[in-house]
Amino acid sequence: MNTQKPRALVVTGDGINCEAETAQGFRLSGFEPEIRHLNDLVVEQLTVDQLSSRYAVVALPGGFSYGDDLSSGKVLALKIQHQLGWEFSDYVSRGGLVIGICNGFQALVRLGIFGKDVSITNNAQGKFVNSWIRVTPWGDHCVWLKGVGTLELPIRHGEGRIVLAPERRAEVLGKMQRNGITCLRYEGNPNGSEERLAGLCDASGRIFGLMPHPEAFLRWTSHPEWTLQPGRASAPGQGLVIFENAYRECMNAR
Amino acid sequence: MFARIEVAMRPQFTDPAAQGFLRKVELAHPSLRQKVRWARSLDVYWLDLPAPREELIQAITSVFWDHVLQWLFTGNLIPSAAGKHGGMQDLFEAAPIRPGVFWALERRYRPGVTDNVGKTALEAFEIVLKRKLPEGRASSGSLLLLEGPELNEDLLAALARDVYCNELIETWTIVPCEELRKSDRFHQERIKRDLPKILVRGSGIVQEMDLEALDDAGLELLSRKRLLALSLVEMRAIRDYFRRPEVARKRKESGLGAPTDVELEIFAQTWSEHCKHKIFGAKVEYTESAESAGSFSIPSEINGLFKSTIVATTAELKKPWLLSVFDDNAGIVAFDDENAICIKVETHNSPSALDPYGGALTGIVGVNRDILGCGLGAKPIFNTDVFCVAPLDYSESLPERLFHPRRILDGVRRGVEHGGNKSGIPTVNGALVFDQRYLGKPLVYCGTGGIMPRVIAGRRCETKEIRPGDRVCMVGGRVGKDGIHGATFSSLALDDASPSSAVQLGDPITQKRMADFLLEARDLGLYRAITDNGAGGLSSSVGELARLSGEQGGARIDVSRAKTKYPGLKPYELVVSESQERMTLAVPKDNLKAFVELAERRSVEVSDLGEFTDTGRFEVLTGEKLVASLDLDFLHAGVPKLELQAEWKGRPSESLPSGPPPAPGGASKKFAETGASCLLELLGRPNISSKEWLIRQYDHEVQGTSVIKPLHTVLAGLAGASSGPNDAAVVKPRPDSEAGVAVGCGINPKLSDIDAYLMAQSAVDESIRNVLAVGAEYGRPESMLALVDNFCWPDPVGDPQKTAALVRACYGLRDAALSLSVPLISGKDSMKNDYRGSRQGNPVTISVPPTLLMTAIGKVPDIRHARTADFKTAGDVLYLVGGTQLGLVGSEFHSCYVVLPGKQRLAEPNWQEAVRIYSWLGGASGKEHNRLRSVHDISEGGLLVAVAESLIARGLGAFISVPADSDPWEFCFGEGYHSFVVSVPESDVSALETEWTVSDVPFRKIGAVITQERLDVSFEGGQKTWSIPTRQLRTVWEKGGYWE
Repeated sequence: MNTQKPRALVVTGDGINCEAETAQGFRLSGFEPEIRHLNDLVVEQLTVDQLSSRYAVVALPGGFSYGDDLSSGKVLALKIQHQLGWEFSDYVSRGGLVIGICNGFQALVRLGIFGKDVSITNNAQGKFVNSWIRVTPWGDHCVWLKGVGTLELPIRHGEGRIVLAPERRAEVLGKMQRNGITCLRYEGNPNGSEERLAGLCDASGRIFGLMPHPEAFLRWTSHPEWTLQPGRASAPGQGLVIFENAYRECMNAR
Repeated sequence: MFARIEVAMRPQFTDPAAQGFLRKVELAHPSLRQKVRWARSLDVYWLDLPAPREELIQAITSVFWDHVLQWLFTGNLIPSAAGKHGGMQDLFEAAPIRPGVFWALERRYRPGVTDNVGKTALEAFEIVLKRKLPEGRASSGSLLLLEGPELNEDLLAALARDVYCNELIETWTIVPCEELRKSDRFHQERIKRDLPKILVRGSGIVQEMDLEALDDAGLELLSRKRLLALSLVEMRAIRDYFRRPEVARKRKESGLGAPTDVELEIFAQTWSEHCKHKIFGAKVEYTESAESAGSFSIPSEINGLFKSTIVATTAELKKPWLLSVFDDNAGIVAFDDENAICIKVETHNSPSALDPYGGALTGIVGVNRDILGCGLGAKPIFNTDVFCVAPLDYSESLPERLFHPRRILDGVRRGVEHGGNKSGIPTVNGALVFDQRYLGKPLVYCGTGGIMPRVIAGRRCETKEIRPGDRVCMVGGRVGKDGIHGATFSSLALDDASPSSAVQLGDPITQKRMADFLLEARDLGLYRAITDNGAGGLSSSVGELARLSGEQGGARIDVSRAKTKYPGLKPYELVVSESQERMTLAVPKDNLKAFVELAERRSVEVSDLGEFTDTGRFEVLTGEKLVASLDLDFLHAGVPKLELQAEWKGRPSESLPSGPPPAPGGASKKFAETGASCLLELLGRPNISSKEWLIRQYDHEVQGTSVIKPLHTVLAGLAGASSGPNDAAVVKPRPDSEAGVAVGCGINPKLSDIDAYLMAQSAVDESIRNVLAVGAEYGRPESMLALVDNFCWPDPVGDPQKTAALVRACYGLRDAALSLSVPLISGKDSMKNDYRGSRQGNPVTISVPPTLLMTAIGKVPDIRHARTADFKTAGDVLYLVGGTQLGLVGSEFHSCYVVLPGKQRLAEPNWQEAVRIYSWLGGASGKEHNRLRSVHDISEGGLLVAVAESLIARGLGAFISVPADSDPWEFCFGEGYHSFVVSVPESDVSALETEWTVSDVPFRKIGAVITQERLDVSFEGGQKTWSIPTRQLRTVWEKGGYWE
């Protein structure tokens, strides 16, 4: 039996800035996280096979890769596509899991992981917003959201509004729903997203991206209202369940 | 080949950039807004890329085109990416009015201005084309389409100047409708012409300045003409230095003649007020009119205010946890056995006056570098920001070159947003202060805290040691003409001649890459010392570090080795340019290779400029040619001491607040009739009302360390969520420790109109109150609690009253800090906050009120006992803790109503009492039992505003009973010192009252939290009551915000 902890690759560099807390989320849920610089990975030129034998999870954390210039996540996506050459669909078909949080999610959208008729753009109100919201899983297709109920998490973004190609909207949305891609919804709509969408997964349910930050709620004291219940100060935060789901999935697969 | 790309959002999607523009027009020119019926914004790129057409088309498609969202107009390069008609016509058809009357404004950066988007575009092409493009060029801009039959060239010009562009860094052109329909702008020759070109020819040009030939007038003229900001006395001292026989002899030996421009510029930077703090070091003669002498004494002769007040205070307090104070880029204190915390607060007032966005952006990324460059280098863990601006409803005509306060605030807000958010540093604390006099210069304070291990690669974190032979390495951004004379410019009043080159834009991503790289290099022990390249550029950073090298110090650099943004810079420009995102390091020769290799792998550039020496000289070469050679000793210690006269004329007999006329309605004698409306009026005042609009545009949670946020939010995550203010922030910087860092601030410039001594004491007390409210520890020798001071003064030179205010503020600061036993660990002063110019042809001078920002940083031993300001449970008992030192004079109420209905009392601090109160609150204070459900300090607006702020979010109610022996106005609206509103569970009341009695802490039971959603205030011994619904308190408080 494999007694080693599963490894999680947490990518950093070029303006990514949530790598430490993302790694902490993986650590707390049983993984051994490795924070690696994009440029080192480019030099290494890991094939998808090598990637999947070394890492159980690849995480693209939040941040401002390339300053959000040319649109959020865009140049990071180009770098993954052209310099790393990773096909995430191949990686997950070999048993891997992928998560993109906030800027990482935006990069996954630009990579076309959730379909070529899906995009993400400026919040409807045209402003960056840091605020706590509620999200609820929709359907049970996404591995990362198995058994997860409603979560309270912070959003911190200026470009979180998920949009669909206008001329094919109904068709695209129907297909996404049928395939379980529309996996996470806001209560209310903090950014004008289509169908209140807060997160998406790919058809396999193993690549998951979301705008809210689960890694920012690993412990109860991060919640804006925690002082109402000081007794819970040491309790785990609701964001942790997402990382724990990945761990359970990895352990089950062994 | 050349390409012009226009990226338009497809009409089905909203266009926030255009909407934002229209909103700004509405605020700035309501009448013009009527004339613009529709607007749409496009991103524009000008490219010059050495790639074949087919390859380029493919690359452009993948770099720029999101087919869901956008159309690309490329002049037929990629017809499929445009809409039905293949061009602008498709956008025109989407306008609500057809056929519309269209115009466009095209905006571009001026040559040489930092263009982050253009730079990223080029990087994207390198990624896609899989090769470096050293010859490639990419430039970004935008095109704003406007529709309106009443628009004309004059109106468009007004829109461009007042809203769309900052002409200091951008240029604009009007594009008429016919032009838009044509494709001329996509022609190769045209694009080539439109790409910004920087033609400077100064390589290696050094000018000699024969100071001997100049008389006094000539010396002054030279200083003015070259923007040296040196006084005649200083110019003479420099001339006399070069006259010294041994200096002249040495120069001759090394082939140098008359002083070079490089040398003069190095003097000007090093001796600038900004770098040298000559005013704080001056000899001051202080006198005061006999009748106004207070109970404290200020000596009549002060040999350097900084040394005798600020440094002396910290020295006297001898805290064991101080690691490095005043001599590094930031103050460093021990946080626990393994970690040190450092903090620095900077001001960026002058640049923010000229370009609010760029000024504030470079302010925040600049102070981040202070943290990266303090000790062996720390990781930034939080930012703070405090803005002082004129009231946003300012409606008089603006003096020449000044921006409307709305434009200032929009710009600085966006600057700090981009600087902080993009760097991944949470902005956790701040303040916003309004006063008419900040029209002349806005104050923009940016602070950063950092953490580092106390021992790094075997060395103590606070050490900075250099050995002769170590390489002088410049790391990060490249040098350009931007930021030349920033330090000297900020040492002058703002006037019509203020240079545009002093302004720069920041590049947070280059800096983030550099920061990540530096922390890696630090942990590998690759460098020996590090400092920031800020004011004064290399002349300051190398000049400062050189002092640490060997016995005598010294450095020898070849500026022609510095990587530049474009060729042709003169040697003196290379030396003084303040181009952003640069640090200077001492790298041991043996580590240079590893250092450079790591930098390359992190996409960070290194210029190896030369070496540190032990010659006692700062030498600059360009290639082989020596162009500056100065004695370090004289450079750093030779500046003539300034002498200042200070005369304190006493507090004004009638303390009348300055500013706009009293609020309508006024406050009558009858508390019963007007008390409630006064509270509502105060809650909506800009100085008090909600700052949520601002706070939510800053990421205050990144890094995952947030414990107490700037706002307490009730029903977080729900549509009905509502927020109220907290007093200070708490972050938990280490995942493996329960200890937290609290950071808060205090600022009260209103009191400067009465006595800057009190103004300073008030700021100190408020900052301490704020961090204690959230749970910082106080009172034990090991309790880490420290202060940072930031003085922003109107020029005191030649003005004995302003100098006296400075003296009194310093002594107020000293007395407060000594009494509370809280050391000062870092600070900064900005002494030239004046505007001299004209308004409608008449000369006008505007000076800011003397303003001292205090930032307090404290340790929360266990964050599980941290506190917020909101009342939590109905039935909890409300207490006023402290409360003996509150008065109406100088309060927000006073500013609002001018004529005081209640007692004319000016509150004064009582530090003995303060120590008792703070020792209780920052000591045990029932923390283990969580007895204090909420704590909120009493500051602007007084007790009732504090109570209202504690109620606003949760929608509970409160009952407040004004004690029969109190003047209700003073009790409800008085401001002052050492006071808090706390809520306590009924069951803990007796235990707490005993605790307070035993520790001699003044307290008063003032009411209770109730379930009914209203605030009831009873007075005259409980015979009379008025009441305001909580919802109304919230609405008024929120409505007072700016929400832009």
